[in-house]
Amino acid sequence: MTKVKKEEKYPVAKRFDIADIQVSREAQAVKPEVVARLIKRAKRPVLVTGGYLLKEPELVEFAARMYEKGIPIVATGGSSKPLIEKGVNPLVVSYTLHHFTQYMQDEEWQGFDGNGKYDLVLYLGFIPYLLSRMLSSLKHFAKVTTVSLDQFYQPHAKFSFTNLTRNKEMHYRMLDELINML
Amino acid sequence: MAINLRGSFVLDEVKNVRINIGKIVEEEMEWEEETGPTPKPGIMELRKWDRRLLERYEPFYAPMQDFCNLCTMGPCDLSGNKRGACGINLKNTKARLVTIACSIGSAAHTAHARHMLDHIIEEYGEDMPIDLGPDVNVEAPIIRTVIGIKPRTLGDLREALTWAEKEIVKVLHSTHIGNEEDILDYESKAMHVSMADHVGMEVADIAQIVAFNLPKADPDTALVDTGFGIVDKSKPVIVVVGHNVMYARPVADYLEEKGLSDKFELAGLCCTSHDMTRYNAKAKIFGPISYQLRVIRAGIPDVIISDEQCIRADLLSACEEMAIPLIATSDAAVRGLPNRNDDPVEDIIEDLISGKTPGVFLSEPEKIAEVVPKVAEAVFKKKQETEMFLTEDQLIEEVNKCTQCMNCVFTCPHSLRIDQGMESAQKGDFSKLASLEEVCIACRKCEQVCPKDIKILSVIMKTGLKGLLSKTGKTRVGRGPIQDTEIRKVGQPIVFGQIPGVIAAVGCTNYPDEMVDLRIILDEFLRRRYIVVTSGCHAMDIGMLKDEEGKTLYEKYPGNFDAGGLVNVGSCVANSHIAGATIKIANIFAMRPLRGNYAEIADYILNRVGAVGFSWGPYSHKAASIATGFNRLGVPVVVGPHGTKYRRAYIGKPWKKENWWVYDIKTGKKVYIEPAPDSLLLAVETKEEAIVQLAKLTIRPNDTGMGRQIKLTHYLELSKKYLGRYPDDWPIYVRSEADLPLRQKEELLKILEEEHGWKIDWNKKKILEGPIRPLDPGFNPTLVEEVYDKYSRKK
Repeated sequence: MTKVKKEEKYPVAKRFDIADIQVSREAQAVKPEVVARLIKRAKRPVLVTGGYLLKEPELVEFAARMYEKGIPIVATGGSSKPLIEKGVNPLVVSYTLHHFTQYMQDEEWQGFDGNGKYDLVLYLGFIPYLLSRMLSSLKHFAKVTTVSLDQFYQPHAKFSFTNLTRNKEMHYRMLDELINML
Repeated sequence: MAINLRGSFVLDEVKNVRINIGKIVEEEMEWEEETGPTPKPGIMELRKWDRRLLERYEPFYAPMQDFCNLCTMGPCDLSGNKRGACGINLKNTKARLVTIACSIGSAAHTAHARHMLDHIIEEYGEDMPIDLGPDVNVEAPIIRTVIGIKPRTLGDLREALTWAEKEIVKVLHSTHIGNEEDILDYESKAMHVSMADHVGMEVADIAQIVAFNLPKADPDTALVDTGFGIVDKSKPVIVVVGHNVMYARPVADYLEEKGLSDKFELAGLCCTSHDMTRYNAKAKIFGPISYQLRVIRAGIPDVIISDEQCIRADLLSACEEMAIPLIATSDAAVRGLPNRNDDPVEDIIEDLISGKTPGVFLSEPEKIAEVVPKVAEAVFKKKQETEMFLTEDQLIEEVNKCTQCMNCVFTCPHSLRIDQGMESAQKGDFSKLASLEEVCIACRKCEQVCPKDIKILSVIMKTGLKGLLSKTGKTRVGRGPIQDTEIRKVGQPIVFGQIPGVIAAVGCTNYPDEMVDLRIILDEFLRRRYIVVTSGCHAMDIGMLKDEEGKTLYEKYPGNFDAGGLVNVGSCVANSHIAGATIKIANIFAMRPLRGNYAEIADYILNRVGAVGFSWGPYSHKAASIATGFNRLGVPVVVGPHGTKYRRAYIGKPWKKENWWVYDIKTGKKVYIEPAPDSLLLAVETKEEAIVQLAKLTIRPNDTGMGRQIKLTHYLELSKKYLGRYPDDWPIYVRSEADLPLRQKEELLKILEEEHGWKIDWNKKKILEGPIRPLDPGFNPTLVEEVYDKYSRKK
């Protein structure tokens, strides 16, 4: 895939639902290289995958490539099945995004493997309104850096890809670019 | 010898003293059960039970807004859990909001019950006996357990209703500025008001079953036509919308009396349609709330009768657009219409037919009965045959207006790609637009933001008309309560686990994806011989969906409360029979006393009855209170992803050993247990995830070895089928080798040894070390000290 060129304009970071408004900070819309730097700096990054992987095989490919780059995967929403078929061994498969978000708000929780809290959580392949509520919960009640890699701009994440609903090709190119930089 | 002393007595010379002797004597004579610790509980009486639950199942909050503007000191920025001007923080505002939502839901059912009960008592008298058929002796399990009375007559139901009304007001009071400051106390109040909701629902449904002679626990009720394409458009069509059958019933009676039943079509939307078919199986079911605009825009009704709850707030304008007269009947939704109760019938009819008024408010049943058929007939005669939604030319004209600005996409609850559908249609391919009909909830928000005023909803419905018409099938009429005899048969297998669980599919239609997913999920459990119970919109939606052989689930599975049975209890208020069935298991099978004994019964259900609520598309406040009421009763609930917008869940943390304990009455010890169930209220994203979580949440600490083996077999199989491998947490549910699925026993023992460090005796294929606790056939768990004391003493 070709890289998103500098002269190619990134779409405006428009909320996936115009009425999903809060008074606190909105996510910083980021390019792939920023996400790559965040991942490299993180001590315990994790990728959380959602139900859209059951509908969009391209997302399975990207998640599998991120796994190959050493990022563990928390597979939710049934996304584990296509990932396992691709040779991925997810950290967990049967906890929901709701479980994971609740657990992350507990100071004592040491992750699914017991090796410590996650400091960077990347999200890929979620129903936008579901992810929005979970990101809102973490924004207000947890200390964790959240990054949405979905095609929808997620206002309650710390960082999010911009809104790419109009340009799916660009979304894929951004994911490709990110993975190539890891 | 019983002396009938019924009545009130005033003692001479002692003012303001009144003794009601008769009632006490009669109740004692008929009900020897001792009154338990909490008859007619106030906010504080069950707080201890709630905190037991809430300390284990910690509330989770997902704010929609991070500000509060409920008082004049605000608006206040509460982000990051800051406190506002009144001192409340963000978490507490969410707990308060959920309490308000549950209060609204509870008030809706309870006001419905009040309206119905008062009307019915006026018509039939307060002494009309409560008779739910020969197989139902435990007639009102919720009222018995919560209120501590055994209602014999319609008049007795008033006592329960008065209690519910009082508690709703008290809880609503607590949401005023400057009251509660602890989230657990707000959650306790949400549970309390939701328990009142269950009482209100039970009153409403018992009253209507008794007075209107609805089915009385009959597992084999009639199958009625369901879906968009059910009506014969060559006849005048009367459509009822809402939740209170009181106003639609006289229309059915009038048509019968006049011999006109076959000359009109009578069909309903939402729960009124369930209750219409329970009253008269000639009536038909169009569908849920998401079908309101579909049906109206298609121009099918010749007159609409609306009552209350879950009716669109733009019903009148939608009807006006299609020149359909509207008769609003409930004071909960008068819709700005003139009150015509005192006017002559002829004048009302004339004004509606001529279009002088788009609708009227009319709540006199006799007048409704007379007005409705005449208006329907006249409108039908005037109506010209038109194409549904749009003509072909209009469709193309509408589609061609689209500029793909995507405003619709960014306001659609499902982010549907309407822009792409329009773009393809502009090139001649309408299939993308047509496919949107499957997921569209017909909310019409897209039209509100379209700068070109495209009738987007009509465009979607027109292009998807073939699919819409094909969703036509049969629903088994709501049967009301579960028989005591059925409970006697299944009580033990449910408590021991041989029947792996009861899945109660309840609620609205805000599904994350196509409606057919609901059918797929329930079919999976029916094939595995779980008991599936359903009500409300879920119950009618599965009546629209046929398999390859043209059969709905109702035509594939029997209607009895037994393994592999699909039980439609009826409308929203009939949900009380689902809660009632879990209570009856504790009472009829385990002989636990009900009378004012809520905590013991809820504790029994939490530890022993593998029932799980399931609301795949919740949206109403009533769904919030129904679910929260089930939670207090010890029944976990799984919701679809839209359910996260209720902003609160109850999710346990399995690694916190200190949260997972019970008293074992047998050994007299506090025992640490497996986290079963691990959550009380949880959202899932996909059908695959729903199926696996539902299977897991049926696991209970009291399962026998065989019961746990059966439940684990399903949990493991379903996880492998839908998630690609065994679930991550299965080992924590293993207490001994007897719990393991037989076919995979060796494989699983090996995993336990190699991956989890358990010690296995391979000669005997026994687990020597590893489980949280050993399997003990006499295990007798409780979370309630008083229950422990009571049964320890008995020993």
